[in-house]
Amino acid sequence: MVRAVPAWLRGLAWAFVVLAGLFLLGPLAVVVGVSVSENQFIAFPPEGFTLRWYEKALGTREYVEAFWLSLRLAVVVTVTATLIGGAAAIALSRGRQAGAMETVFLSPLLIPTIIFAIGMLMLWSSTFGPTSFATLWLAHTVVTLPYVIRTTLAVLAEADPFLEEAARTMGAGRLRCLWHVVLPQCRPGLIAGAFFAFNISFDEAVLSLFLRSPGHNTLPVQIYGQLEFSPDPTVAAVSTLMILLTIALIMILDRLLGLNRFAKA
Amino acid sequence: MSDLSLSQIHKSFGRTEVLHGIDLDIRSGEFVSLLGASGCGKTTLLRIIAGLETVTRGTVRIGGRDVTGLPPEHRDIAMMFQSYALLPHLSAFENVRFPLRMRRRGSRAEQAERVERALETVRLADLGHRRPSQLSGGQQQRVALARAIVSNPQILLLDEPLSNLDARLREEMQVELIEIHRRLGLTTIFVTHDQDEALSLSDRVVLMNAGRVEQQGSPREIYAAPATSFASSFLGSANLLPVTVGPGPVARLADGQQLAIPAGQATPGERLLVLRQEDVEMLPAEKAGDLKARVAIRVYLGARHRYMLDLAGQRISVMAANSLLLEPGEEVALKVGRILLLAR
Amino acid sequence: MTARRETLLLFAPGLALLALGFLLPILRMLMLSVVGPDGITAVHFARFFQDSYYPSILWRTVRLSLIITVLTAAIGFPLAYIMSRVGLRLRLWLVVMVILPLMTSVVVRTFGWMVLLGRSGPIASTLRDHGLVGRGFSLMHTETAIVLGMVQVLLPFMVLTLLGSLARLDPRLEEAARTMGCSFLQSFRHVVLPLSLPGLVAGSLLVFTLSASSFVTPSLLGGARIEVLAASIYKSVTQTLDWNFAAAQAVILFAGVALVLIPYLRLTARHG
Repeated sequence: MVRAVPAWLRGLAWAFVVLAGLFLLGPLAVVVGVSVSENQFIAFPPEGFTLRWYEKALGTREYVEAFWLSLRLAVVVTVTATLIGGAAAIALSRGRQAGAMETVFLSPLLIPTIIFAIGMLMLWSSTFGPTSFATLWLAHTVVTLPYVIRTTLAVLAEADPFLEEAARTMGAGRLRCLWHVVLPQCRPGLIAGAFFAFNISFDEAVLSLFLRSPGHNTLPVQIYGQLEFSPDPTVAAVSTLMILLTIALIMILDRLLGLNRFAKA
Repeated sequence: MSDLSLSQIHKSFGRTEVLHGIDLDIRSGEFVSLLGASGCGKTTLLRIIAGLETVTRGTVRIGGRDVTGLPPEHRDIAMMFQSYALLPHLSAFENVRFPLRMRRRGSRAEQAERVERALETVRLADLGHRRPSQLSGGQQQRVALARAIVSNPQILLLDEPLSNLDARLREEMQVELIEIHRRLGLTTIFVTHDQDEALSLSDRVVLMNAGRVEQQGSPREIYAAPATSFASSFLGSANLLPVTVGPGPVARLADGQQLAIPAGQATPGERLLVLRQEDVEMLPAEKAGDLKARVAIRVYLGARHRYMLDLAGQRISVMAANSLLLEPGEEVALKVGRILLLAR
Repeated sequence: MTARRETLLLFAPGLALLALGFLLPILRMLMLSVVGPDGITAVHFARFFQDSYYPSILWRTVRLSLIITVLTAAIGFPLAYIMSRVGLRLRLWLVVMVILPLMTSVVVRTFGWMVLLGRSGPIASTLRDHGLVGRGFSLMHTETAIVLGMVQVLLPFMVLTLLGSLARLDPRLEEAARTMGCSFLQSFRHVVLPLSLPGLVAGSLLVFTLSASSFVTPSLLGGARIEVLAASIYKSVTQTLDWNFAAAQAVILFAGVALVLIPYLRLTARHG
């Protein structure tokens, strides 16, 4: 690390980091504040302290149903994206023409989601009719796939390329080699990819808005609808619960893999 | 007049003190090596001289001026890094010009002329247009050297500059460094963990150990008369044997063998006997020697053999000409040339 | 089973998914943008450029995206640099500070800005208390609101992209520059900036693309009157139900993004 950075600049850097932190985290803190405020209307700073908005949110059928829908969706998407993405990543890590294939598999990251969203809506409606849970499943799996592939590839890139050959010389057949050697190596990448897939699917709003079917809203779409028309502190309570879920996810990820890994990269 | 003067330099990282009060004066034009194992604090000391690290306590003076609190850019120094630290986005020429540009030395034309001269000095005159990535390791190293000498700094700092080269290139560069130093007369501080390098290049060797100066002196002095067991084992492959001196001018080894020693070193007590490889001659067992040992392992080195011998319950290493061929298990007589005893 | 067969088998589900769930929808959208009642037509595109209404939306989208990209880079670069040069422990906390908002739903973050910028939010009430603005003042439904919200939403992408390239930068290079007479700021300009330029370009393109195509934050913070292209597409899909026109707008958006992306991809491909 470079020492001898002028003192005034160090001070400035600290002030800058604090301001950036406020800017990044402020909007989240505000939502949490509103969710426990006694004020009937959305206002900040909060007045008093109450948990009744949480009570109200948990008693509202739309929110509860939206939560279960989002959860179900995120779980199936995570499973499918991890399976398919993991397999593709293993194949990519061996491939000779990996470059072109990799671009193909990461292309959903390059194309704006909204463009993909309306394409999906148009294709689905013309082939299968009204959109359903399956539409969202398919669409979310496509957009989360690149994340699984990227995290898994990153792990495999650091692995010893001769491990597989070594295993073969020790008498492991192809399948056993895949199971006992390759998969354990992929594990951290697959876990990280699965977390991102779950998080993205659970929080995703654009695809879900375009592809929603009447009466079946995911949680972000439900919140979006409320914000568009009549935001009240109940939305803040639901939003706070989503923030808490994110924090929980980050903590679990840290426990399983250690965030150091991401900090070093 | 001394170009660099360090007094009572202390440095701590967190709670660990890594330099415990270093005093050092370096004369103008002197070539000084800081020699020591990794972690001894030699690189930290070099970085303190450069201004890349701050001191916890102590004073750094360059050319009589107190520069302790000054950042590197305000010290008249140049440093060559172990990794060369060439700027990858600039050509070799621009890399060498960089210190002149930053220190605003001379006009553009003058700078170009000095860069050309520096590149000629390191024999790279026609590769100035290349990027570092288009140069071999040895060439990169020369660019780094040219960049370090181009500004004619008051002090030239070299941080293990030869350690990334293969053996042949390293010897070549050593000769070149000696030549450049003789020609330009720059005050040079050279950090290395390689004793041969330190001995062959420098006017003075400063041997460091665990954040302290263990011993300093000319290469000859420090090799011939190591002051401590650390110094003797670090410089040259010496075998160290515990002995008991006295009564009389005699040293007794652990197995009871006795060795006559010069009267001047015969102060009674527990001592360490230093046997350098080149001071011990191997003879067939039937000849008269000073000590007896037994062959454990023989290693063929081409020009000669290295023998590992069992002597007084210890393994020692000795060189022998190819004309003498002994098998493991055979007895051997040793003739000891120079005898050196250290406090235990 | 041969190695080749196994590799193909591993690729198959992914390729099938991308073909059916990604390629086909995009193709379908492209097709819809050029078909009318009487076969192939450019009428939907012509409609976009018929009067100044839609071009002005396009221009606003581009303009706001540029402003957002520049601001994100201006805040993100120093932040990423500081993160890359502090100790590992502090860096970890800063990474959490960046990824916590990133991993929180855009809808929730935008809600936070709605509270902050609204009539009864802290900014408006502070200004009001000092008599600087009138009673009805609110930053909501302004371009400023969109820019503020979007910069916060996209800053993590910029920071993480830059952090990747800055962390790979050898700190010895900066030290070497210092020993050659650079002040701290000069070493920043002559060493750090040129060497992290690829990361800065990549981050900017990412932010520009995401910004140009995002619609949750702009439509909530900008309201119905300050429309961006993505919001207009959403309106065509859900309200006016003119899917051909929606597809045409999406193609225009895509073309705009590609116009920016392709030269960059070529450039990076050439320089490895």
